[in-house]
Amino acid sequence: MANIISFLVLLILGYVFGQWAERRHFKFIQHRERLLKNILCFNVKTLPSYDTAPDVELVVGNVVISIDYFKRIAAGLNNIFGGRVSSYESLVERARREAILRMKLNAKERGASMIFNVKLETASIYKGNGQQVGSVEVYAYGTALIDNH
Amino acid sequence: MIITNIEALPGKTIVKHLGMVQGNTVRAKHIGRDLMAGFKNIFGGELKGYTELLQEAREESVARMIEQAQAIGANAVINVRFSTSSITAGAAELFAYGTAVVIE
Amino acid sequence: MSYENRDIPEGINVSKIHPIKEFAWLAGGLIILVILAVLVLSVLAEKFASYIPFALEQKVALPIASRFQDDHPLSTDQAYIKDYLQSLAAVLAENQGLPEGMEVSVHYVDDSTVNALATLGGHIVIFKGILQIMPHENALSMVMAHEIAHIKHRDPIVSLGRGLTVYLALLSLVGLSDHGALEQMFSQTGLLTMLSFSREQESAADREAMLTLQRHYGHVEGAAALFEHIEKEEKEDKTPSFFQSHPHPRHRIETIRRYSQSLGDSADKQLTRIPERIQQLIKT
Repeated sequence: MANIISFLVLLILGYVFGQWAERRHFKFIQHRERLLKNILCFNVKTLPSYDTAPDVELVVGNVVISIDYFKRIAAGLNNIFGGRVSSYESLVERARREAILRMKLNAKERGASMIFNVKLETASIYKGNGQQVGSVEVYAYGTALIDNH
Repeated sequence: MIITNIEALPGKTIVKHLGMVQGNTVRAKHIGRDLMAGFKNIFGGELKGYTELLQEAREESVARMIEQAQAIGANAVINVRFSTSSITAGAAELFAYGTAVVIE
Repeated sequence: MSYENRDIPEGINVSKIHPIKEFAWLAGGLIILVILAVLVLSVLAEKFASYIPFALEQKVALPIASRFQDDHPLSTDQAYIKDYLQSLAAVLAENQGLPEGMEVSVHYVDDSTVNALATLGGHIVIFKGILQIMPHENALSMVMAHEIAHIKHRDPIVSLGRGLTVYLALLSLVGLSDHGALEQMFSQTGLLTMLSFSREQESAADREAMLTLQRHYGHVEGAAALFEHIEKEEKEDKTPSFFQSHPHPRHRIETIRRYSQSLGDSADKQLTRIPERIQQLIKT
């Protein structure tokens, strides 16, 4: 009985706080995306033509985001029936946009306005109880073009 | 919508780069498929169920990427990359990304 | 060639389904699946349980029975009552045609609880409380034959099979960390309280008991006496716990009446009295 109660409490806490945190995170991401709008990202390697050669530098951004208890249980249920695991979709979406933002911020600090050959890596890092992975890491990296005059 | 994983399109000129577009989906296989895969792991051979599942999911991630590209007015996505990661036991994330462009 | 980043609309990469709604669907589906699995398993367990040899069942029940006897030591008077009950059970068992190798051992508990039960290994427990409300031996024989019928039908082991399956399924859902629960289940109280019989099993035992009475006394007069008494008690809201899992007394009385009519009783419907000495012993 005690485990059932603690399970339900965790589930409700996970849902309430998880949803709240996710909404807040998305708002925060959107806000910063507007601020960093002038840093452009492309995953092509061909650089635009230039008169004076710009400096290049590797810029990176990474983030590890964990899933809440409710979504973890929901994903466990998805695993039984198959199909889309919607709870993880929003998780990786958040992580990816956050990582790109951090890369952009990195580029901005160097006075760059364009990043080329952007690549994204995803890794699940923490294997917790019963091989359930609770967190994903997204790593974004690219080459920033810095005007040197 | 032209999808390619090279950076230039023969006979076409890229007039605008519109930035990166992404498509992702996380899919799990159902428990029946897990059991069948367990048997297959003994004898070896192709796991048809998983092949189909991953392919289907990858198509969806490309479809989502194209949806993004269309939403921002592109008519081609170049330099498309795929990445697959196992997010949790029994579920895989299929991710596709590329640069949305306007070609003429 | 121009370079720009355009705003990508939100939500393309996230499935549009409310998390609670999805969760409810999945959890509901899972619960239905689990219930189905438990039902199928328990039906299988019931089917196979009756193939377990009676000797094995006895062996399993032996430690419980001996502990039970240690816990309830009998005085000479109580042993006398027990012997009486045992001899009555022996006669009834013979009339019921208990298969080869099956035997019934009766235990007597000096407690005012109105209860009688049959459990694993052919053990029958009769409480003083139920003896006190017996108007005559025919009524007692009805209860005794009913319990013997449970043993003949292998009901205790069948419901043990069913109970174990359900219990193990629940346990595996909650997690096997709770070892205490498993031990408690195998203890005496666990086994006794877990063995509840289904209505079908109870009705079948009633029918079998009436056949036995017919063979023993030549009629089934008085078989309904106990239930009539209980029905009267029930109106005063004093149902003994033993009868809660059983069919309603009214229902049982009607079944017995219908049955006795169909038998076409012999004219001589003499009721046998419970021996004087036993009556005196259980008075207090």
